[in-house]
Amino acid sequence: MQSEKRLYSILFFCIVGLFVASTCFARYNPFEIFFNLENFQAFIVDDFFPPAIPTGLKLKAIFQGILTTICMALSATSVAAVLAFVTALFASKRVSPIQKSPKFVRGFATFLRNIPALVWAFILFSSLGIGTGVGFIALCISSYAFMVRAFAETIDDISQDNLESLQAAGASFIQVVFHGILPSCLRGFISWFLYCIEVNLRSSTVVGMVGGGGIGLVLLSYLKGFKYNMSFTIILAIAVMVLLVDALTNYLRKELDLE
Amino acid sequence: MEPILTFDHVTKRYGNGVCALKDVSLSVRPGEFISIIGPSGSGKSTLLRSINKLISTTEGNIFFDGENVSALRGGRLRKNRSKIGMIFQNYNLVYNLSVLQNVLHGRLGHMSGIRGILGLYPEEDKEKAWTLLEEMGLEKFCYNKAGSLSGGQKQRVGIARAIIQDPKILLCDEPIASLDPSSAKVIMDLLKSTAQKRGIPCLVNLHQVDVAMRYSTRIIGLHAGEIVFDGEPESLSDSVLERIYGTSVTNLVAGTSDEKDWQQAYAV
Ligand SMILES: Nc1ncnc2c1ncn2[C@@H]1O[C@H](COP(=O)(O)OP(=O)(O)OP(=O)(O)O)[C@@H](O)[C@H]1O
Ligand SMILES: [Mg+2]
Repeated sequence: MQSEKRLYSILFFCIVGLFVASTCFARYNPFEIFFNLENFQAFIVDDFFPPAIPTGLKLKAIFQGILTTICMALSATSVAAVLAFVTALFASKRVSPIQKSPKFVRGFATFLRNIPALVWAFILFSSLGIGTGVGFIALCISSYAFMVRAFAETIDDISQDNLESLQAAGASFIQVVFHGILPSCLRGFISWFLYCIEVNLRSSTVVGMVGGGGIGLVLLSYLKGFKYNMSFTIILAIAVMVLLVDALTNYLRKELDLE
Repeated sequence: MEPILTFDHVTKRYGNGVCALKDVSLSVRPGEFISIIGPSGSGKSTLLRSINKLISTTEGNIFFDGENVSALRGGRLRKNRSKIGMIFQNYNLVYNLSVLQNVLHGRLGHMSGIRGILGLYPEEDKEKAWTLLEEMGLEKFCYNKAGSLSGGQKQRVGIARAIIQDPKILLCDEPIASLDPSSAKVIMDLLKSTAQKRGIPCLVNLHQVDVAMRYSTRIIGLHAGEIVFDGEPESLSDSVLERIYGTSVTNLVAGTSDEKDWQQAYAV
């Protein structure tokens, strides 16, 4: 108890120290926002408020943008999930038919995962040009890497036992996959898949802003044109989109009894 | 009769240097019901798992059904495994699938290609699964999830899954270690009767000596990877038991509550 308290106070001072050090290093003034609060407030209240009501073509563009963003997130996650499942078989210590593969596959996945989707987007945009297709690939890569790890852990978590019995009966590797691993891990896979959809929907908006298309790009064009009222409307629309999709995934989790 | 299984000077050394089997030689003939007894870590599971090459051995040869198991790989190994039924302490069922599907898993070794992947079992296999489940008294649970069954019922599914393979030998690794005494008795009776009816030899790892005495036609005693006894239950004397378990008989008979429960189960 006593030592725990001391640990916490040491931790607290470390964090304060780090904050001061990094503020000095980056030469920014953390209180700037307070000095400029008035400006900031004026910006929000005068420029953004009230949200503009889109009509006609503008409304259509916004809806199309939202649809594109959702589709990008959904399709990227789905494609990534299928690829990740196949890869995860070789990343799992328990089922991989190749003894040394887990180490390499996991290392590879960790490497891919440590590069955020946004960075992938920039790398790909500069080599392949902009467009929803490239945004899709960027999202795919990052969620693929994430799901490889998650799926492999799920496979390792289920007991080795039921796989052993299938092997003992003479089942081939692919039969073990379809009759042992899939039925016992499907719930875990779906749960990670839904989580990835939520993450990708958010990233897909941001990736869109830097050239991936969808609602992100629509928002950026209004921001660049100083049309803040319309931008505000779009930001609200994005918030509603995220909330709705989260509600949907939560509903699915409950229905599928994943919690 | 020709032996169906032969161990010829088999030794197993694990990577960490543990010698789990030391120069083991034995043969098994059809119709035998053999119990393997020995203290924990004496190599019982290793012996059983080396027969279907879930564990590969270091030295010596194992011959099963006329083939040298140690040399088998790939498709030939699968074929060989499909002739060996195995029953596990933890049942090893896929709990999210139905009882019927779990029983049919026993046929996977006989199937190949897309039908095997999708589980499109022939009609005759399904009928056989039904009959077996009836024999096990589980016909009511065919479509229930395997995870929803009790321990004893799960093990009966395990037996059905092994028998549907049409095996030439049954390997049982502590089939009753996770069961209460009365379901343990049901399982041992079922095991003995189903195997005997079909003339399938059985190798059963047990840690209850009295159960081994009651059911076996032959008992093999392992101590630290070596066979220290191989004979009929009648000749299993106290001094032999002491050699197997490396402790005096009074310690063994002093009676874990487990053994008392067994006696009660039989008294009923
Ligand atoms: N995978 C492994 N790697 C290294 N050593 C092992 C491995 N599996 C078993 N052993 C060792 O081999 C010896 C025999 O193990 P085995 O599981 O065959 O014993 P057992 O008689 O089945 O014991 P129990 O009654 O506890 O199941 C033990 O000393 C064990 O520690
Ligand atoms: Mg064991």
